[in-house]
Amino acid sequence: MTTPGEEYSGKLRWPRLMQDVAIVAWPSFLVASVATMVCFAFIDPLLIGHDDYPPPAFSTRMSGYAVGFFFFWLISALSSLLTLYLARTAHPEPPESGLDQHETRSFE
Amino acid sequence: MTGPEAELEGGLYQARQKIYPREISGRFQRWRTIAVWVLLGIYYALPWIRWGGRQAVLFDLPARKFHIFGLTLWPQDFYFLTWLLVIAALALFFFTALAGRLFCGYACPQTVWTETFLWMERLVEGNRSQQMKLAKAPWSPQKLLRKGTKQLLWIAFALWTGFTFVGYFTPITELAGKIVNFSTGPWETFWVLFYGGATYVNAGFMREQVCKYMCPYARFQSAMFDKDTLIITYDAQRGEPRGARKKGSDYKSRGLGDCIDCTMCVQVCPTGIDIRKGLQYECIACAACIDACDEVMDKVGYPRGLVRYDTQHGLEGVKKRVLRPRTLVYATLLAVLLGGFAVALSNRNIVAMDVIRDRNALYRERPDGLVENVYNVKILNKDDAAHEFRITAAGLPDLEIDYAGPTVLVGPGQVQSVPVRVRVPRGGISGGVDVLFGIETVDRPDLRAEGKARFLAPTG
Repeated sequence: MTTPGEEYSGKLRWPRLMQDVAIVAWPSFLVASVATMVCFAFIDPLLIGHDDYPPPAFSTRMSGYAVGFFFFWLISALSSLLTLYLARTAHPEPPESGLDQHETRSFE
Repeated sequence: MTGPEAELEGGLYQARQKIYPREISGRFQRWRTIAVWVLLGIYYALPWIRWGGRQAVLFDLPARKFHIFGLTLWPQDFYFLTWLLVIAALALFFFTALAGRLFCGYACPQTVWTETFLWMERLVEGNRSQQMKLAKAPWSPQKLLRKGTKQLLWIAFALWTGFTFVGYFTPITELAGKIVNFSTGPWETFWVLFYGGATYVNAGFMREQVCKYMCPYARFQSAMFDKDTLIITYDAQRGEPRGARKKGSDYKSRGLGDCIDCTMCVQVCPTGIDIRKGLQYECIACAACIDACDEVMDKVGYPRGLVRYDTQHGLEGVKKRVLRPRTLVYATLLAVLLGGFAVALSNRNIVAMDVIRDRNALYRERPDGLVENVYNVKILNKDDAAHEFRITAAGLPDLEIDYAGPTVLVGPGQVQSVPVRVRVPRGGISGGVDVLFGIETVDRPDLRAEGKARFLAPTG
């Protein structure tokens, strides 16, 4: 019927670094997509720029959209990265912290 | 993982063993295949369909308007898109509560494109064991040929996918012409490669890892689950203790359950899990293990359904309920939003206006004793036909209106700015008063819009 021993012996998980890259890059990509849609529904990229200095920031709308998208991606990726860093480097709560003991005692 | 496959896939994947899902046929796989053909068929064909002389579905970003068959949406209609996204999210919740991760298994682009990439892989490299053998084999011209052909197929398909994606935003026939002449614009080229590249990496290499590490829905879908949600389950009561046995032997007297431990359910799993360990978050509910197990059960002559779609209540022998508060609430919300969407879309304003006071002067006192204010009226014609517009003003005593009239022609999908002067006799009003502007088309009086602005006059 089947050859035995064909199940997986190795790791099926990504290495930690890949996971980190993925969980920073992907959610920020999703958020950047939404942010780009919302932003440019209200703002025409051709109208971005200085009132007094004639050359506008973008020569075509397509370049405005693209730059906007990558700007949002960068910003949200930075935020994801900081969150990940803080979450990963947080010191774990000691199993019996002094505060808890103190509180317990005061209830005795 | 060591060996040639690791070299091919690059260092990023050293630690991860590649999953080779075994090919499987069965009733649920038939549905999944149909879903792939229908969804990808729509995706690849839609930009080529024409409607009223132009591309039927075109999100014309450079012109800031969306064409969806007979409908043209403007940035002002943005809330329809938001509404649609809310509906989509709610539909996802509803179907999740009802039947678990239906979306993941049958409709998610990640699953659908991965499936096509698996087909191409099988076409070139053969079935599961042939693929595994090829991966272990030392490099040879034969192996290079196979791996190279697979890569070529993948890349060609990914580029076509990227091209189609850009074809939703740029007229696809023009884009095809430009590609033939190598004259695509920088952003067109970039997005074709970006989307194509993402498809290639996601469907060719990352595959189930996207579901495991990157997908937010995979993490929160369990919040929509309850004991009446359809999940893919292994009937441990019936199956355990598992073990090999001779066909037709009286396994029950040996204390064995129905599971013959053939591991077919593991081999067909695209995420490489063992469904017999219970519900796991890696499970995308593709039902491949159901089809695999049913086939085995048929062969050994046991009843089907050792692995099946069931609910937790079903497994516990409690009566199943499809109608329950959770599904009813989702369904009601969904119906209300869908109904509201349809009503709003059919009653959508086809003409709109905006009025802005001229900022250069508060007012002008004319020698003939009239006080004049100047406005800029913007007329937006969202219709696909041109219309002649009349501009009216009301709300002030003895008001007269002056613009380059009597009618203003605004082409389909055009915005026209019209300077409008409004005058009232001096002393008629003092300070600021609201003046109500209106536009209406000559040919269709139902196409009208209104706007308000301030009229300023000297005080006293």
